[in-house]
Amino acid sequence: MGIFKYFKDIFSGLWSLLVGLSVTSKYFLNFKAVTTQQYPEERLPLPARSRSMIKLIYDGEKDQFNCVACLMCAKACPNSCIKLEGVRQVDGKRRMTTFKLDFSTCIFCGYCVEACGFDALTFVSEEYENAVYKRGSLLQDEHAMKWVRPAQPIAPEEQKKETVIPAVVGA
Amino acid sequence: MFTGENIIQIVSGFLHWAYAQVGISALAGAIDPVISAIVMFGFISVFVMFLVWMERKVSAHMQSRIGPNRVGPFGLLQTVADAIKLTTKEDVKPVNRDKIPYFIAPIVAFVATFMGMVVIPFDKGMVVQDLNVGILYIIAITGFTVIAILTAGWSSNNKFALLGGFRSAAQIISYEVPLVLSVVPIIMITGTLSLSGIVEYQQQAGYWFIFPQIVAFIIFITSATAEANRAPFDIPEAESELIGGFHTEYSGVKFAMFFLGEYIAVVVSSAVAVTLFLGGWLPVAFLGFLHLPGFIWFLIKLVSVIYLVMAFRWTFPRLRVDQLMDFGWKVLIPLSILNILITASVWLLLYGKGAQ
Repeated sequence: MGIFKYFKDIFSGLWSLLVGLSVTSKYFLNFKAVTTQQYPEERLPLPARSRSMIKLIYDGEKDQFNCVACLMCAKACPNSCIKLEGVRQVDGKRRMTTFKLDFSTCIFCGYCVEACGFDALTFVSEEYENAVYKRGSLLQDEHAMKWVRPAQPIAPEEQKKETVIPAVVGA
Repeated sequence: MFTGENIIQIVSGFLHWAYAQVGISALAGAIDPVISAIVMFGFISVFVMFLVWMERKVSAHMQSRIGPNRVGPFGLLQTVADAIKLTTKEDVKPVNRDKIPYFIAPIVAFVATFMGMVVIPFDKGMVVQDLNVGILYIIAITGFTVIAILTAGWSSNNKFALLGGFRSAAQIISYEVPLVLSVVPIIMITGTLSLSGIVEYQQQAGYWFIFPQIVAFIIFITSATAEANRAPFDIPEAESELIGGFHTEYSGVKFAMFFLGEYIAVVVSSAVAVTLFLGGWLPVAFLGFLHLPGFIWFLIKLVSVIYLVMAFRWTFPRLRVDQLMDFGWKVLIPLSILNILITASVWLLLYGKGAQ
């Protein structure tokens, strides 16, 4: 029986090698199986609610930021990286004049976005290359953070959820 | 229609005319081999560069990656960039090395394998030197690589390099035996050791030797992979066990020589496999209407066999040392001896005595 087992082992071993070769050859010939994303040319779209960058929403119709300088975001911020000032206008409404967010200390926890009761702060998903050459560039003001909401959101349901968050956190 | 023979005639005719113009016709016998060697060196360098690119592409697509695609069209010039990087690199040497062997080892590794290309017939008459003992010559000359590897391992003064060298010696000596034994049936059938003669026999017989000698082909390819120190038989340079094995202490141009030598060994053994088993420059039977020149057929077959060897590397896991020895001595050698016996008996029964 030993000699039969010897040849049987050789043939089963050879067969298993052929099976392995067929698997790799299948992947080699199937050029669509490539999963590599060539980053600078190809960019994966991030999920609509990903926390990539914090932006100040700018209302194009009223030509002003939504922010009223209520300071809720600055109070909610655990690292105190938000500094903002506002002024009371002649019609009695407060408006934000300067807004500074230091992204070098921001941890993207999202408390400021949750605390905002006037739909003035939001996370955006399309901008996620946050690396800079100088540390000072991370201190962004209202001009750098200006963001106009697109007329037709990519995912309306997702966008809706974000806009109706009640501003009750942290008060 | 250009055939290899025509090209050789035209080129040699032009060269001899040029010799006559300069007045060195008497030296033609001495200059011709030099020119052949230079042409062969140029061909093999470009071909190896292509093979390195091909290997990276093959491995990449087998792993659902893309591979090099930045330098030149489809990344074809990636190897040129690598070669420039290797040649301009600092040559770091161990202080306590054995100086002369350390210097000679990469040269031997490169030259020993490169000399095997001399007897490979690319087409009818398209061969640097058609030795009548071609196979014997190739087996003898490629066996030199073990000396180079052992020398490199010894002279590096590094325990990993030495272990790699010893493993390599054990492996190459073990696998030399089935390699030679797998070729024996073909020599018995054809009655010649010349590679061109074997191809011509296949032309007259009308079949390739892979069909009656499939076992010999499998044994030959397996042993040739082991001879070239390629995965799954790459225990002399097993990265996960021995860092770089025998070339741990080599860098720059010397490392490039080892690298080049490894790829030329693949080319030589694949070319011998094509010549012995796949009919060399003969056209593929059912594609005969294409009327391609013989050397194009040869190159197509060569690249196919090399793809097979590359697929081995990127598919199979590495063997352990004891498994390697078991496989060589307990499987390949008995099988090849059995193959010789069966081939001899069948040929004797079919054609009787004096089959030649």
